Amino acid sequence: MAETSLLHGTLDALILKTLVAGARHGYGIARHLEDATQGAIDIEEGSLYPALYRLERRGLLEADWRESETGRKAKFYKLTREGRSQLARETKAWAEFSAAISRVLLPA
Amino acid sequence: MAFERLQRLLRPPAEREVDDELEFHLEMRARELVAGGMEPKAARLQAQRRFRDLEGTKRECRRLAVGRAHDESRREWWGELRQDLGFALRQMAKAPGFTAVAVFTLALGIGAATAVFSVFRAVVLNPLPFPEADRIHVVALTSRRYAGGSASAGNYLYVAERQRSFGSLAAVDYRRFNLAFDDAPERVLGAAVSASFFEVFGGSAAHGRVFTAHEDTPGPDKVAVLSHGLWTRRFGGDPGVVGRSVSVSGVPREVIGVMPAGFDSTEGEELWVPIAFTPERRAMYDEHYLMLFGRLRPGVTPGQAKVDLATAAHDLARDHPRENEGRGATSFPILEEVVGDYRQRLGVLLGAVGLVLLIACANVANLFLGRGAARERELAVRAAVGAGRGRLARQLLTESLGLGLLAALLGVVVAEGGRRLLLATAPPGVPRLEAARIDPLVLGFAVALGLLASVLFGLAPALQAARVDLRAGLAEGGRGSTLGRDRMRRVLVAVEVGLALTLLVGAGLLVRTGANLSRASLGFDPEGVLTARVGFPAEGYSGHEKPARAFEAVLERLRARSEVQGAALVSKLPLTPGRGTNGLIPEGRDFVARNAIDSDSQFVSPGYFETMRIPLRAGRFLSDQDRRGGPKVMVINEELAKLAFPGQDALGKRMACCEAGEGGPDTPSFKEVVGIVADVKPFSPGASPLPQFYLPLDQVPVAAWDWMGRTLAVVVRSSQAPAVLTPLLREAVRSVDPAVPVYDVRTMLERRDRTMAQERFGAALLSGLGFVGLVLAGVGIYGVVAFFVSQRTREMAVRLALGAKARDVVALVARQSLGPVVTGLALGALGAVAAGQALQKVLYGVGAIDPLTLLAVSVLLFAVALLASALPARRAARVDPARSLAAG
Repeated sequence: MAETSLLHGTLDALILKTLVAGARHGYGIARHLEDATQGAIDIEEGSLYPALYRLERRGLLEADWRESETGRKAKFYKLTREGRSQLARETKAWAEFSAAISRVLLPA
Repeated sequence: MAFERLQRLLRPPAEREVDDELEFHLEMRARELVAGGMEPKAARLQAQRRFRDLEGTKRECRRLAVGRAHDESRREWWGELRQDLGFALRQMAKAPGFTAVAVFTLALGIGAATAVFSVFRAVVLNPLPFPEADRIHVVALTSRRYAGGSASAGNYLYVAERQRSFGSLAAVDYRRFNLAFDDAPERVLGAAVSASFFEVFGGSAAHGRVFTAHEDTPGPDKVAVLSHGLWTRRFGGDPGVVGRSVSVSGVPREVIGVMPAGFDSTEGEELWVPIAFTPERRAMYDEHYLMLFGRLRPGVTPGQAKVDLATAAHDLARDHPRENEGRGATSFPILEEVVGDYRQRLGVLLGAVGLVLLIACANVANLFLGRGAARERELAVRAAVGAGRGRLARQLLTESLGLGLLAALLGVVVAEGGRRLLLATAPPGVPRLEAARIDPLVLGFAVALGLLASVLFGLAPALQAARVDLRAGLAEGGRGSTLGRDRMRRVLVAVEVGLALTLLVGAGLLVRTGANLSRASLGFDPEGVLTARVGFPAEGYSGHEKPARAFEAVLERLRARSEVQGAALVSKLPLTPGRGTNGLIPEGRDFVARNAIDSDSQFVSPGYFETMRIPLRAGRFLSDQDRRGGPKVMVINEELAKLAFPGQDALGKRMACCEAGEGGPDTPSFKEVVGIVADVKPFSPGASPLPQFYLPLDQVPVAAWDWMGRTLAVVVRSSQAPAVLTPLLREAVRSVDPAVPVYDVRTMLERRDRTMAQERFGAALLSGLGFVGLVLAGVGIYGVVAFFVSQRTREMAVRLALGAKARDVVALVARQSLGPVVTGLALGALGAVAAGQALQKVLYGVGAIDPLTLLAVSVLLFAVALLASALPARRAARVDPARSLAAG
């Protein structure tokens, strides 16, 4: 399992994407990212939660407390409209960025 | 564990959420690990370890959560404010009359105060236009009896050499020069200055250069520097003027430089020439005529400079005791010299206009309170749907704020008008007045006043609202709080009356001062006298005989006219600024500086006293029997007689002054007192008498003609209006020499009025303000009483129906208002004392605490209050009991 430190912004984008399908609590987001990246990237819990709070403060996420699958109450996050637009912007930017890098690093 | 739980309970909700959330995560992770086979305790530890720094993360999340909570509450607050403002504007629109009255009343007060502030700022606060102007000081040499401050050339050079605090010390001799280069000669104000002058004021020439130290010596000193104003006005702004030759009082000088615009020194002089002391002048320690300015060395404090100067003066007294015994020296910033006592005068004006603003605020507060009764129901409803008392109070304050800012806006317009009015009507001589304008600082002042006013008049009703018993308000329609409201209105009335009294007493004191000054004895009869100054150039009039004869010819021409009752010459007119003093030592006292009595000197032609109608107290006037070469005589005034020969008859005694005696430079030159005349006011009617002496023009030292610039004042008395004499005077001078200008032509009455212009203006302004304050207070009282009547209509109808007479009803109403009025008068008496103290320096003929003025003003205010109460009271008495009972 390679450990790569993630940039701030990238973690934010990953979180936003995770929530496209629906609301999740913080643990759910962490597990989903671990599965989705097939363990290649280790999400540090210590960075995840501050990132969630920052996104909430910026108005990209909304949160409320609901009953979780275990019966306990948990804080669920979901995307706001602004969050969705931000995700679209980030995705586009990432695609352009990686395409440019690929052109340089991976010529046929 | 229990402790942790307690801690969690005590934390605010936002932070507790963080704890709960992270706790949930740890549980889920532990569960996952247990499901994978780990042991529960180890799983828990592992879950925690995955966080690396659990506590740190918690802290950061808590911080972010709290920040978010703050953001939210701030947004909420702004939202409420917008709501309040919107509501306030709607309220104002709903009651346009009320709003208009309130806004206009305040705008008047704010506008007046702002206008005065703009003047205050320009005259008193603005720094002078020199680099580091606060480092420039006036250096004044003092003597025990006379704090005048001018220096002799010898003193200047001595002090300049020995002092260590000033990088440069300059000497200035202000003079008027006849400037001629092409056509008509012009009289300009200028100065002969030492070369260090430009260093002190930090000016370098815009064109050409300033003079060097070498040019400040006799010989190479035939140069001149022009001011920007003179250069534009007479030389068309042509840089080619540098190098040209001009005639300055008959002396040809080369123009070597032009100063930039804005370099204006302190007197507005337009021309500078080197002072170029001659060796004789350098050795003169006793003729004091120079003003000294210095620029402090970096790092030297004004206090250190004072000590340094005192030491230098002490040494001066030791080394030259005859002229300088008891000599002291001090310095003060030049701004003080320019601003003078305007700081105090304008401060008083600002205070007065502030009082008017306060009265206006009290009126508006009363307006609000009156309206408050009507709004109680509305407020009660708002409270019922959840607005707390604080919120209600904030609501009302926001309304006041809106009104205040609106008033400030309008006030700026009023201020601009007021500023123009002030500039147009102000008496001459106010320094830097033209610079008064409405700039950002002044605008800020207006806005600040608007805010302050809002708080002042909004506070009372807001406090009322917070205290209101809201349930009672809903139930009965607003009777419950009437008592508290009434008391507050009465307090406001008392305050208004007190403020108005203070204002009016101040105005009254100034008016009486003005009247006293007009009636003050001047020591001569100013009616029918015309005065002018005439100066002959050096060229063609050197020595003493030629100018004396020229002047005599002018007088002869004048005396030949039938309109002229008398004509004479004098070196310095009464009621004009400027002083020339000499120390006189009575015979019998040691011939040392200690015994010198500094007295105003005047050289007069025969007939001066008669022309001016100065009363003779003893002996005789100077006449044409007092010739050059004959026995030296003088005439002194009563004040000098008292000082020089207390308890004795001064007639026939002798005093030494003004020139060296026959025996050499250290011997006295005695002159016999042949007459004693009344004290003549040298500056203004209100000044206290100064010692004065008169010498016959024929007997003045020959050199005197030169340093007088061959300039004297001509006084002419006529039985008709003195203005008739102006063309005669000009013609008389022209017939003697057409190239000689006649200037500063004014009647003696004009001069007197000019000296009183400041006092008159101040009295007029303060009276105007007092009048406004009186009207406002009257209106305020009327409003309160009228409101009281309108609230009590039922009660009065009942009383009338029960047999009360109209008289009783009126008395009841009147008592309402007159109680607070009397309280206000009592309070105002204290204010009046304060006003008197503030004005003390400018009063004349009245004490600071003047019972007569106080009484008169109190009676006036009481009468106005009576009238203001009587009108609504009479209406109350005419109430038709039946109708109002039926309607009630």
